[in-house]
Amino acid sequence: MSFADRRFPVPVREDMATALRRSWADIGRPGTWWTGPERVAIAALARAERIQRNEPPWNRDRGEPSTSLPEKAVEAARKIGADPAQLDREWANSVISEIGDSHYVELASVVVTTAAADAFCEAMGIDHEPLPEPEAGEPDRERPDGMGDIGAWVPVQVIDWKRANVARAMSLVPEGVRTFFRMVAAMYTGTASDFDRMVWDHRPLARPQVELLAARVSALNQCFY
Amino acid sequence: MLLRASSDAVGAEVDLSAAVEDAADGGVEDGAVLTAFAEAVVRATNDLDAARARALETLGPEKFVEAAATVGIFNGLVRVADSTGIPSDAMMLERTADVRGDLGFNRWSGAKSSGVAEAPA
Repeated sequence: MSFADRRFPVPVREDMATALRRSWADIGRPGTWWTGPERVAIAALARAERIQRNEPPWNRDRGEPSTSLPEKAVEAARKIGADPAQLDREWANSVISEIGDSHYVELASVVVTTAAADAFCEAMGIDHEPLPEPEAGEPDRERPDGMGDIGAWVPVQVIDWKRANVARAMSLVPEGVRTFFRMVAAMYTGTASDFDRMVWDHRPLARPQVELLAARVSALNQCFY
Repeated sequence: MLLRASSDAVGAEVDLSAAVEDAADGGVEDGAVLTAFAEAVVRATNDLDAARARALETLGPEKFVEAAATVGIFNGLVRVADSTGIPSDAMMLERTADVRGDLGFNRWSGAKSSGVAEAPA
């Protein structure tokens, strides 16, 4: 079992550990556009690059290529994993023109899930979780309806949307949204009513403490959103 | 930003420069411990072990886990926003208009996606 309780130096809420385990297992499963082995390869590339994030990209040890992923997918996994502040529309378009927008969004969903889980491990002071064993099977290749242009680099859900834009950023691949935002709910937002409340007197940290951490991590990553 | 909104909700005055300054407390309880912890994780600095130990000692195990979870998940959330170029929400842009320029946010690459980019300093 991934994220086993015995690995944590202090107790972790069961719902949080469960969310981590479920999302971690999802990485190894066939996705919507990538196979299980491809998804695990994407996670491995992102992890390896992010570990070296303090080195400039040209100085990172990448070893011999050992993946059948398209070259642009390899580049995207590495860049989103380690250099998120350096991304721009022109670069994203160059990747999307090669691998397609749906493949790009799913790749991003695997990278962000990996980065969040790895950063949590680093914060907790434990080794990164071993990557999941890839499962056999084919992607289902289902593109959702109701996608449109709101100025993002990829199409997003446009019908009846009333929540924060970031929650629909990866809506082109609903499975990717479920995998990552399951962790978001357990590790940050809580329930919908929790998130709307600015006073958290029912949770361990006060809301301003959580939002200070959020703001500092966002600023360190030079994330405008 | 929700830091200001959540501080306003409890009648506290927050110093938003804590978002961009090292080990600043921003007027938030244990703020300096929290920001130092976040900085050490994101930057993978040599003092991560010390920052983590201080956070655990100051906050206690339950709050420490929540802090670690917040740091972890935001390392994913920033990549969601920055890999998709998703524009900021109109309400958030409106609420931060008075501070974004001073804090340097408008010079970051992602500001282009929200139409408020300034030239890098």
